[in-house]
Amino acid sequence: MSADKSEVLQGTLDMMILKTLHALGPLHGFGIARRIEQVSQDVLKLNEGTVYTSLLRLQQQGWIESEWGTSENNRKARFYSITRRGRTQLAVETENWERISGVIGRVLRLEAEK
Amino acid sequence: MTTWIFRLVSRVRGLFGQKQADSEFDLETQMHLQLLTERFVQQGMNPKDAYSAARRQFGNTTLLRQRHRESRTLLFFPNLLLDLRYGLRMLWKSPAFTVIAALTLALGIGATSAVFSLIQGVLLTPPPYQKPQQLMLLQTVRTDGKKMDSPRGWAAQQWMEWNEKVGSFQGIAGYGWTFNFLIRNDGSQSMQGMEVSKDYFRLMGLKTALGHGFDDSDFGQGHVKSILLGYEFWQRAFGGDKEIIGKTVRISRWDSSPVVVGIMEPGVRFLPSPGAAKEPNYDVNATVDLWVPADPNPKYLKDPYWNVVGRLRDGVTPQRGLAELAAIIANEGRAEREFEGFSPQLEPLTDEMNRDGRRILLPLLGAAALVLMIACGNAAALLLVRGLQRQQEYAVRIAMGMGRIGLLRQVLTESLLLAIVGGTLGVGLAVFAVNLFKVIAQHAVPRLDGVTAGWPVLGWGLGLAVLAAFFAGAIPALRAFRLNPMEVLKDAGPKGTAGIGERRLLRGVAMLQTALTLALLVGAGLLIRTMVKIAEVPSGYNTSRILTMSVTDVQSQSSWAPFHRQALERVAALPGVQYAAFAWGVPLTGNNWPATLDIEGQPPAAKESDKIALPMRAVTPDYFKLMGMTLIDGREFRSTDDDKAPSIAIVNRAFTDRFFPNSNSVGRKVWFGGRDKPGIQIVGEIANGRTDDLTQEPSPEIYLPLWQAQAFSKHLVVRTTADPGTVVVAVERTLRSVDPTAAIENVKTLEQIRDDSLASRTFAMHLLTGFSVLGSVLTLVGIYSVISLSVASRRRELAIRSAVGAQQKDIRRLIFGEGFRLIAGGVLGGIVLAVVLSQVLRSFLFEVQPSDPATFIVVGSLFIGVGLLACWPPARRAGKVDPLEALRYE
Repeated sequence: MSADKSEVLQGTLDMMILKTLHALGPLHGFGIARRIEQVSQDVLKLNEGTVYTSLLRLQQQGWIESEWGTSENNRKARFYSITRRGRTQLAVETENWERISGVIGRVLRLEAEK
Repeated sequence: MTTWIFRLVSRVRGLFGQKQADSEFDLETQMHLQLLTERFVQQGMNPKDAYSAARRQFGNTTLLRQRHRESRTLLFFPNLLLDLRYGLRMLWKSPAFTVIAALTLALGIGATSAVFSLIQGVLLTPPPYQKPQQLMLLQTVRTDGKKMDSPRGWAAQQWMEWNEKVGSFQGIAGYGWTFNFLIRNDGSQSMQGMEVSKDYFRLMGLKTALGHGFDDSDFGQGHVKSILLGYEFWQRAFGGDKEIIGKTVRISRWDSSPVVVGIMEPGVRFLPSPGAAKEPNYDVNATVDLWVPADPNPKYLKDPYWNVVGRLRDGVTPQRGLAELAAIIANEGRAEREFEGFSPQLEPLTDEMNRDGRRILLPLLGAAALVLMIACGNAAALLLVRGLQRQQEYAVRIAMGMGRIGLLRQVLTESLLLAIVGGTLGVGLAVFAVNLFKVIAQHAVPRLDGVTAGWPVLGWGLGLAVLAAFFAGAIPALRAFRLNPMEVLKDAGPKGTAGIGERRLLRGVAMLQTALTLALLVGAGLLIRTMVKIAEVPSGYNTSRILTMSVTDVQSQSSWAPFHRQALERVAALPGVQYAAFAWGVPLTGNNWPATLDIEGQPPAAKESDKIALPMRAVTPDYFKLMGMTLIDGREFRSTDDDKAPSIAIVNRAFTDRFFPNSNSVGRKVWFGGRDKPGIQIVGEIANGRTDDLTQEPSPEIYLPLWQAQAFSKHLVVRTTADPGTVVVAVERTLRSVDPTAAIENVKTLEQIRDDSLASRTFAMHLLTGFSVLGSVLTLVGIYSVISLSVASRRRELAIRSAVGAQQKDIRRLIFGEGFRLIAGGVLGGIVLAVVLSQVLRSFLFEVQPSDPATFIVVGSLFIGVGLLACWPPARRAGKVDPLEALRYE
């Protein structure tokens, strides 16, 4: 983990994709990859292929759904969108994340003050 | 939870439409790569570089597609087929390996599933009663906790009261053992039966196969009007003739002929009747031949001859039932002197039924499991060595992108295939073994006649195969799992060698096998020593050239004396017959007649439970001479000691030692049924014999003249001048000439009776010896291959050693040293293991402790010796390694 670009944790990627779909509405895989790249500002490094693994996993859990459509430049593409169950899950995960990161942040600060 | 279900459903759906999903995924990735490339081109790369950069950023597409395929659907159905095909091909291509490994596993699986089949048939098959776990035998113990001299039942007055008052039981029924003969003109046939009270069939949940059960009018005093026949007896004696229902049959000792009203369902066996256990034909594990309705006789309500069984109510614990019962019985004891001093004990029926079977089968299962583990050890070693030869292949596979899990699966699939081949062979062996057991172990394992070598064997065999595959495959699979492809590809050593780590692992396996084998050998050794000790025990009587058969006159009481006198006279006159006698209580048959009595000089019993109970036997005059039991005081019986002469008895030495320690018995008196009756005079004393059981010290015995005691069932005992087999036909013909209806059964020599009485020990000994030989062979093969592999892997080192001057004998010593350390380590471990495991054999041992040092030393040193012999061929090979090899090597 000491590499300059942090690797993305599996669960974290799932959450980021959920959030992306939640915020931007239906998107195809490439679009999601671009959005994450943009938001993370090159801090996170990922094989973009793993986005698809993540998408499959989310779909199997019933948190997102997909259908084939046409992209902005008239190409056939698969669009993913968040489901109702997905929104609930996102809310739960967000809360969890905030609580844990809050705790970890506090602990790390404590260490630093010593 | 719901998430989990969603995932499963979509995965099951994923099993279908694989192709479409694949092509859709390809489309998606291609588009992604295209868009990425276009983006890079826009950023100013040339198209070719842009495409490579896109691929780099996207990652390995093939791998991704594979991962998708795996997680899209249920694990690995498609891969499994591939693995299976591949595994089969590999096994086919190395037939020698396959045959050896499969045979090894077959031996272990065969042994274990054979014993499992016995356990399934004997212990796990429930008796044909409804909810048998609710059924409790109500047994009698002394309230003061002392051992009872002889078993005692309950009085009808008592159990009828319980039936009304005890709320924990759904019902309570009485039963007894009865024995009789179906009279036929061409030799009558014995029947063992059960007398049952009104509620018995309903309580046990038994149904008739044909006809109907008893109704209330069948119960009452006087002649028995109706009987039921047991299914097996009906098949045996009447050939399954359905016309028998409603007809009468002639039964000895009964004044009228009863009507057969029905046939009981098949497979119904006896409930224990401890009071009848000493009767000649008593066999609690037999199927019931005859059912007789029995109603308590108002005249004998206080006689304790009923055995009692009860069914607990749903959800009531035996403890509660017992507490309630004990309270009532304590009350009865206070009210009635004859009931005083006894308490109840609840024994679950299934526990009681399985006690003997469990005693012998569980240790044998343990032994079989050890054999299986040893076999798994060999198979694991073989697989591991093969895995070493294929390391290169594995490394290449990993380098090509095969996942670790995939490799693990591949290795396990191969061992599973192997185990299934072995399991199939093993099932064949097991079927053979079960049939063999049914022939040789009749007297050793109860209810063996109910065991069939059918589907259960197949089930157990294949189940064990899967288990074996896991055991044998685990180590090689883990090795493959942790394989480092770079290392392997870098130093490509010669084939058929192993690194130090693998050799250590293999030595560990062989050491473990040695330990397990030693435990088996110790068990066999202990049993062999036991049998030797038993053979050395002075029995106190002869067993050679003695023929016995149970002979019963089935006609009226008045013909008893003439029949037996005449029969004895004629048999004794036959050529080849030295002596002939009738006896009730032939040694080792378990027969005698437990009776309570008073003995001169002993204080009268204060309580019913304090009365002296001793085994009685009844014999004709020549019996002691015939058996070689020496008279040490007084006189023997004479043929004039009949029912007109004064009652007399002969006792044994143990009787005198117990009741007249500083005096003698001859001239003393004993009484049955009270001192006010005319007593029985003791006229002689004979030497002690181990009459009941060869492994028990002689106990006090009383013999009565048969002409006075007039026993119904008894043995004819004949001492012959030559092989007893030669006179059988003549003796039977002579008996029939006296009375053609006489029942002649159980023709056996006394030696056969002796063998039967030791049957469970003999069976355990044979089986354990067989298992330990099997285990030893497998282990020796294991040791041989480990040392061989070690020599093969160390060739270069050995060559260098001999190049720098080591002699052949030095090198041999080196190899022997390696073998010795392995074997000695295993033997030491085995001794520790054996000390623990041999405890389960305790009940089979006689004058040998489970931790008998002599057995341990002999077995241990023997195995070290034989084990070193197995090291000899590889050691010799090592000695011949050419020093030039060291130079030629690279």
